[in-house]
Amino acid sequence: MTDSSRSMRRITTGIRSGLRGMRSAPLVFFISVSTMAVGLLLLGAFMLVVQNMRGSLERVGDEFSVVAFLPVGVEPTPSEVAGLRKRLEGLQGVVKATYVSRSEALERLRSDLGKDSTILEELVDNPLPASFELVLGLDTRTPDTVRDLAAKARNVEGIDDARYGEAWVEGYSKILRGLGWVGLALGGGLALALGVIIAGTVRLAVYARADEIQIQRLVGAGAIYVRLPFYVQAVIQGAFGAVLAVLLLYGLFRSGLPLLSDPIQFLIGRTAPTFFGPLGVLGMVGIGIGLGLAAAVVSLFRVEDP
Amino acid sequence: MIQMYHVDMRYEGGLYALRDISVAVERGEFVFLTGSSGAGKSTLLRLLFGAEHPSRGQILVAGRNVSRMGRNQVAELRRQIGVIFQDFKLLPERTVFENVAVALEIAGVPRREIRARVWSTLKRLGLGHRLDHRPRALSGGEQQRVAIARALVNDPPLLLADEPTGNLDPELALDIMDIIADAHARGTTVLVATHDPSLLERHRFRHLTLDKGRLIGDRRPELFQSGAHRSLSPGS
Repeated sequence: MTDSSRSMRRITTGIRSGLRGMRSAPLVFFISVSTMAVGLLLLGAFMLVVQNMRGSLERVGDEFSVVAFLPVGVEPTPSEVAGLRKRLEGLQGVVKATYVSRSEALERLRSDLGKDSTILEELVDNPLPASFELVLGLDTRTPDTVRDLAAKARNVEGIDDARYGEAWVEGYSKILRGLGWVGLALGGGLALALGVIIAGTVRLAVYARADEIQIQRLVGAGAIYVRLPFYVQAVIQGAFGAVLAVLLLYGLFRSGLPLLSDPIQFLIGRTAPTFFGPLGVLGMVGIGIGLGLAAAVVSLFRVEDP
Repeated sequence: MIQMYHVDMRYEGGLYALRDISVAVERGEFVFLTGSSGAGKSTLLRLLFGAEHPSRGQILVAGRNVSRMGRNQVAELRRQIGVIFQDFKLLPERTVFENVAVALEIAGVPRREIRARVWSTLKRLGLGHRLDHRPRALSGGEQQRVAIARALVNDPPLLLADEPTGNLDPELALDIMDIIADAHARGTTVLVATHDPSLLERHRFRHLTLDKGRLIGDRRPELFQSGAHRSLSPGS
């Protein structure tokens, strides 16, 4: 009998022992899975809120645009418009440049003002400049690239100025960054708290099986043989806990949406909230398994003689 | 099989459980370890299967230095030593079969072979009809026989027994000692800690005497007829 085949058999015995441990103590298994599910439900709910807020902000980011203005009072000829369009569409990141004449600009303003548009009747002359609206590619819709593109547009001959809603873009950028940090800190804190709780349940399981472990040690069980059943249990509990948490979260998501429309609208605007996709669900299961395993490794590492 | 050289076992607070023990046990020998409670018998056995490390001195078991072993090496050593305790140390939720099989599972023996070996060992010890029972359904003598089966199922070259009859009535005690003597007859080196004089009377094997952590006597069977035995001076 080779050493490797002996080791493989010890591993399979360890896995079987982990499964048997769960079957022999279903109440402990149920409590551990429930604890895990409640913790992951909180973590998942938080991740869902962050995901929707980010999604909402990213959709707002899709509306980033740069407007390149011609000098005030200049009405370009069609060939001049074509030339400018060609130069602007030649800038990296610009998908399309749409010309807005002075009269079109005035018409839009009138439409935006609605019933207050009567104040425009006082105007003797159209004060608005003609402009090009630059539609940006998907990869260009970030605050940094928008800023760079506006600077380049200003240098195009025939263009007087380019604007991109500087204050708004910078504010958006800060919110997105801040949300990332807050998400990381709160999510990390929740995950850590959950890890501590799981480590506690693993340690309780270790103490509950202290006699068995002592006997295994006496007849020559190595550290892996003793620990493997706990790792197996932690992985299975993590997976079960995560699946249960996702199901509960989905139920709450569906039933809670109509009740929470006001706070949701406050957080993410008028867009419809979305649930985790298949990758998000897999991610939750991965987090459950990872947390369970990490907690088991840490708690068994800290137990003097498991 | 066993060599101990000037072994001390000292606990925190300066209390000595063993002091300057030097002794050798040959392969195939049967040795009783005697002495009153607290003499250091259990501590000496615990040192031999690596449950504790000596404060001073060297211990060789089957040519390997136990006093310097790491955790994995100790686990490997224990797979070759059978250990029996006064309180049996059985798993209450497992069947008799599973309690014995655990030693072979840990050794990585294939399942089919485990079944055959556990069955034949339990049958030899008169427990063939108890395979599926839990320990609590067995008498004290039967529980100890299960513990012995677990210790012997691996055919270990060395068997250590710490007061194996301490919880049993005299008749069962003799029965258990006969089983252990049978293992010795099959070639296993045996070291039994006991303070029961009737066992020493019935089984005329070498016995070592401990007193307050010191080895004070080493009586060999060939000297029994004359009643003489070699007394050891402290520290020898």
